[in-house]
Amino acid sequence: MTRYKKQDPEITRRKFINVAMGTTAAVGTVSLVSALGTANPVFRLTPDKAPPVKGDVLVHASESKEGELIKVSDLSEQLVRAWPMGKDKDGNKVIRKGDPNNILALYRFPKGQIVEPTKLDVTVDGEIVAYSDICTHAGCSVADSDQGDGMKCPCHSGQYDPKRGCKVIGGPPPRPLAQLPIKLEGDQLVVTDFFASMPYPFLSETEWEKFKKEVEEQLA
Amino acid sequence: MNQWLDDRLHISRLNDKFLRKAFPVHHSFFLGEITLFSLIVLIITGILLALAYEPSNSLVVNTFDPGTATKPNLVPAAYHSALKINAMPFGDMLRRTHHWMANIMVAAAVIHMMRIYFTGAFKKPREINWWIGMLLLIFSALTAVTGYILPYDNYAYNTVKVVYAITASIPWVGDWVAQAAFAGKFPGAGIIPRIYGYHIMLLPGILLALTGAHMLIMIKQKHTQPQYAKRLAYKKIVGVPLITQQTPIMLVLALLFTGLVMLFAAFVPVHPVEFFGPPSTTPINNIKPDWYLLWVFGALAIIPSFEWHLFGGLIGAEFVGALVLPGIVMALMFAVPMLDRTTENQYYAENPTNHPVRLAAGVAFFAMMIVMSVAGYKPELISSGLLTTGNANTILWILTLLVPAVSYFAVIGIVRGIRALREADERESLAHAHADD
Repeated sequence: MTRYKKQDPEITRRKFINVAMGTTAAVGTVSLVSALGTANPVFRLTPDKAPPVKGDVLVHASESKEGELIKVSDLSEQLVRAWPMGKDKDGNKVIRKGDPNNILALYRFPKGQIVEPTKLDVTVDGEIVAYSDICTHAGCSVADSDQGDGMKCPCHSGQYDPKRGCKVIGGPPPRPLAQLPIKLEGDQLVVTDFFASMPYPFLSETEWEKFKKEVEEQLA
Repeated sequence: MNQWLDDRLHISRLNDKFLRKAFPVHHSFFLGEITLFSLIVLIITGILLALAYEPSNSLVVNTFDPGTATKPNLVPAAYHSALKINAMPFGDMLRRTHHWMANIMVAAAVIHMMRIYFTGAFKKPREINWWIGMLLLIFSALTAVTGYILPYDNYAYNTVKVVYAITASIPWVGDWVAQAAFAGKFPGAGIIPRIYGYHIMLLPGILLALTGAHMLIMIKQKHTQPQYAKRLAYKKIVGVPLITQQTPIMLVLALLFTGLVMLFAAFVPVHPVEFFGPPSTTPINNIKPDWYLLWVFGALAIIPSFEWHLFGGLIGAEFVGALVLPGIVMALMFAVPMLDRTTENQYYAENPTNHPVRLAAGVAFFAMMIVMSVAGYKPELISSGLLTTGNANTILWILTLLVPAVSYFAVIGIVRGIRALREADERESLAHAHADD
């Protein structure tokens, strides 16, 4: 500004203010970021949010029949949606629909139509097969294709073939739908293990393994 | 009274500075105003809706269809309050007005930006306002998306599920960000209060602040002048003052526009919450976002599936299609003023045909957006038999690249033709003028 620069041994006012403002901004930002942590509530794994576990029975998910046990005669080549039903600590029945990602898709195909890579030993006689009904792409519930060629996700048109382990036959999903091991006990469909591969929303096997351990500890 | 007010508030200074601001006389300059009027009506209808809306996803008994005592019909409170709003006198119309206004606000903003782009009004000194305008566009879209989650019907539920998945697809931090943004793992108990907070407090606050800045800068810098102003009075501001000439025009436009939208809202139904029903695991066939996000949806539908693992993070098709690609598009739009090399201040709106490359690039850009939006209709294209499952992606990708390229060169060709004709005209009139002497 002026032609003569004043030689001042002390800190200038401008410099002081700049440093003070910088410090305030830094402290303010850090405290805001830490306050952001409160935006993220703690997740508590309750029985209704647990994934399908060994011993759960499968019940209808459709609004009119919700909670009714699924019979073999209810199943066909048309998708039937199901919830796993387990028990809480007091032994009360609890439908595990607290986590919408627990929704399952059940099919019954004539013998011999279900082929590899479906895990045939955990289907019922190679006829009844259960999958996670959540698209591995963006987490939508998958429906029967209106073209009659397997399953189609309405969100971004991912396609799966339920006769071949729900492998991806079109669209953007990165992985097949996870198969759920089941068996027939009396006339009830019973879950025999966790999903055979990682279901949505997991992104890595280690995460899924960790979650399985956590569930086993919680529900033991 | 004028004197009394003036002594205290210095109205005359305000008058000179703001109230006599000259508005250029050209219909294309009304587009920004329409965006502003939509925002005002949105705030008014939004306040009215907020008075009757219950921001909660806790389950309550549906009073319209209570079910039985042993098996009550439970629906989320937010959905229930949307049903109640529909049952109010003019309640449905109020919702529809809010919906139409939101769509028109984005549409008007887009066309307003097209006007700015094609006439070169983003050039120095107005770059800052272009950037604020871009922020306004982005935040408007965010406000709209959070808005159509609020009724919490099955459609909203599926929408927010996809939005959650997109947020969670950010490598490394996605899970944390999604849970922080949507109040825990989907669907957390607090998801509707959280989104309600965004939609009625945070985002409108940002929109209002940005709008204020946008207009203050516009008043300070003045509008770009239409071409006729150059001939009329070179380097002078030409136009009608805000008070008293522009104000009645604005009022007439605002009332006419609002009236038209109300008429629309009275007769054209939108987003029937009763039809979609409460959140359920039954998917909705052919669910689609609003038209201004359809291009992102189309990109997600045709992007091939892939996953890269990078330093423990996962980069997937979803992240690239829904965040990286729109990020690039937004960055390009942000960069528009920086691509311009002129260092002088721009006073006059330019004739687009004098800038064929800019014009052609803009047209190609919109052509690409349109093709990508059409790609969003992939399932319909397949079921109508136009495409097959096997060739849909390939054909749509070829079109996505080919149509913009063709339109680019077509525009350049047409502009050359126009200029050749114009020059021929000038030569001819020059020759005749000579003959007259």
